[in-house]
Amino acid sequence: MTSAAVRVQGLWKRFGQQVAVAGIDLELPAGKFIGLVGPNGAGKTTTLSMVTGLLRPDQGTVEVVGHDVWHDPVAVKARIGVLPEGLRLFERLSGRELLAYSGRLRGLPGAEVDKRATQLLDVLDLAGAQHKLVVDYSTGMRKKIGLAAALLHNPEVLFLDEPFEGVDPVSAQIIRGVLERYTASGATVVFSSHVMELVESLCDWVAVLAAGRIRARGTLAEVRGDAPSLQQAFLQLVGAGGRDAGTDLDWLGGGAR
Amino acid sequence: MTGDITGTVVRLKLSLLKNGLRQSGGRRAAYVASAVVVLLFGALQLLGLIALRGHAHIDAVVVLLTAVLALGWAVMPLFFPGGDETLDPTRLVMLPLRPRPLVRALLAASLVGIGPLFTLLLLIGSTVAVAHGGAAYAVGVVAVVLALLVCVALARAVAAANIRLLTSRRGRDLAVLSGLVVAIGAQLVNFGAQRLGSSGLAQLAPVGDVVRWLPPASAIGAVRSVSEGSYGIAAAQLALAAGALVVLIAVWAGHLTRLMTSPDGSTLQADTTPGRRERTSGRMARLLPAGRTGTVMERSLRYVWRDPKTKAAWVTSLAIGLIVPVFNALQGTGSVYFACFAAGMLGIQMYNQFGQDTSAFWMVATTISSAHDAYVELRGRALALLVITLPYATLVTVLTTAMLDDWPRLPEVLGLSFALLGAMLATGAWTSARFPYSIPQEGYKNVAPGQTGLAWISIFGGMVSAALLSSPVIAVTIWVNVVEDGDSWSWVLLPLGAAYGAAITWAGLRLAAPRTAARLPEILTAVSKG
Repeated sequence: MTSAAVRVQGLWKRFGQQVAVAGIDLELPAGKFIGLVGPNGAGKTTTLSMVTGLLRPDQGTVEVVGHDVWHDPVAVKARIGVLPEGLRLFERLSGRELLAYSGRLRGLPGAEVDKRATQLLDVLDLAGAQHKLVVDYSTGMRKKIGLAAALLHNPEVLFLDEPFEGVDPVSAQIIRGVLERYTASGATVVFSSHVMELVESLCDWVAVLAAGRIRARGTLAEVRGDAPSLQQAFLQLVGAGGRDAGTDLDWLGGGAR
Repeated sequence: MTGDITGTVVRLKLSLLKNGLRQSGGRRAAYVASAVVVLLFGALQLLGLIALRGHAHIDAVVVLLTAVLALGWAVMPLFFPGGDETLDPTRLVMLPLRPRPLVRALLAASLVGIGPLFTLLLLIGSTVAVAHGGAAYAVGVVAVVLALLVCVALARAVAAANIRLLTSRRGRDLAVLSGLVVAIGAQLVNFGAQRLGSSGLAQLAPVGDVVRWLPPASAIGAVRSVSEGSYGIAAAQLALAAGALVVLIAVWAGHLTRLMTSPDGSTLQADTTPGRRERTSGRMARLLPAGRTGTVMERSLRYVWRDPKTKAAWVTSLAIGLIVPVFNALQGTGSVYFACFAAGMLGIQMYNQFGQDTSAFWMVATTISSAHDAYVELRGRALALLVITLPYATLVTVLTTAMLDDWPRLPEVLGLSFALLGAMLATGAWTSARFPYSIPQEGYKNVAPGQTGLAWISIFGGMVSAALLSSPVIAVTIWVNVVEDGDSWSWVLLPLGAAYGAAITWAGLRLAAPRTAARLPEILTAVSKG
């Protein structure tokens, strides 16, 4: 067995003229809380989609807990949980029906699905809205029900694309709590974000992605280096440091003209 | 200041039209083509109405025409809420505008476009058709302007009154379904027109006597009254139209003020309905098989009822599958074989299965890891479809047979229906895997831009293949009907058709499953557009 939860080699993806992912090699250690950070358009979603089998790469191999995602889907799909960004759920089901559907599709026995769903709904503070259709949920509630669906079959590796995007602080705290409890049991969480404070406070291990390439990787301390915060280190890494927007807008402020 | 706003809003409308055209060549061509068709149609109507001048029942025809036109204007904003962006006053809510100048500006802007031009053509034609004498023409000018303004104000008032509804989720669901009213209404209009064609325009006269008092038709009615020298009646009719205009504008301005000063309803959360269904798996689940099959069936059946797009597609199929054989039977032109239409129409629902999931298909994709999983998934969907289709197709066939009193043919028609249904399921499953395409969730389009060709290949290629696949059963049917003594053997077609349908469905699912399993990311990409 290998100690890497995810092993990516030579991963490429082009959309027409545009190169979204330009040759990524990456090994994500198992049992860690891993942050995949990068500016908008860096290729985070494309990378996560290819790693989870939702998008076919042009080139490269992906292994999750030692199994090839494209050649051994049976072994991989049962071991991972996914919360994609920008894809819908079956929104005309109620929250509880969605969990029941998702769990049963994965072949779990009905009684077990119902038991786990009840607990997840309780912990994620969705019990009051469990019979409401997901289409009427708020952004935070959608992320939480998506997380519940991703956790239901107790995966070994959890991939979350922007799990905190558009989520209110209360829901964010709940999601955090659940994820921390989950990694404490030895499971791996890989999540993407562009909120550095969040990554800094949550993650043990970070990979910085910009323009389809990995710019830095390693433990939080390694990536941060000498910079005072991850935010500063990140801005230097992606080459956005030292830009000052203050000089041209001298008319701004001081009451209406 | 007022003139400013009116000018600005009219220019805004013009630039919206222009920018809409600039988006793509295809769109420009479509717009120009539809403009030409509409104007041609309008011009022909104009000529036709002028030609009908002096016809005995022309007065009834023109007031009815105006009334129908006004009805069209009233329902338009309900069906096409996104059609005219200047119609949505909530977009202007952040601007420091007073309601009165805004009303004037928006009214002027709504007069720009093909729709108003078409209306204007028809109104002019109607006026010329009934006007006799200088006074009548003078009144006619006032009448045309008044009628056009009433139409436009009606559309605006209805849109403003319903903006809450139109921007809420439930409202948008309703809007998708309301397209059905048009589809089924068109069938009924068609039916009515045929009756009218057989018994003449004289039937319209009594209706016309009432409608000529209803604004905006009353304005056109006034032209005819002047022609006949009834100036008092004409004045009353014009006053009615003018009064209606004032009331409509007042109602519209009232709604506008309320809309612009109160919070947007669309962001308020719909109230929770606790205790609706306490259990996860209700009565339905207990009747369904266990495992993935039952889970997939349950979800599919729930979507038929809960998802507006799916529901609209199903209701259309169910309605047309019933209307075609039954109406034809009613008119005495039918044949029991038309009953196969029900099976054919319902079989279409098997097409583009994954497109119906939208991008939520990822939830299915992450749980399919082998061809067997894909087979069970597709089979579950086909079974859910059969739960509705089999009894319905049988019912339509029996009903048609009863209406035509052609009972000896019942077994063969049923057999043919089942074979056709099987072929549709088989080709539907295969094209779902091979030619998936996105179904946009908002509005009326059923194909995302750029995927129209794919949808055509999928549906029409599939239907032709389905017809070819069921040709053995069709051939046997013909043979039984042609050979002497064949009629005594026609019952064989029922078990034969059923067995053939079942076998071909199984084969289709078996062929489609490995393709589905191998193409999961490609299918997800295809169904995630729009």
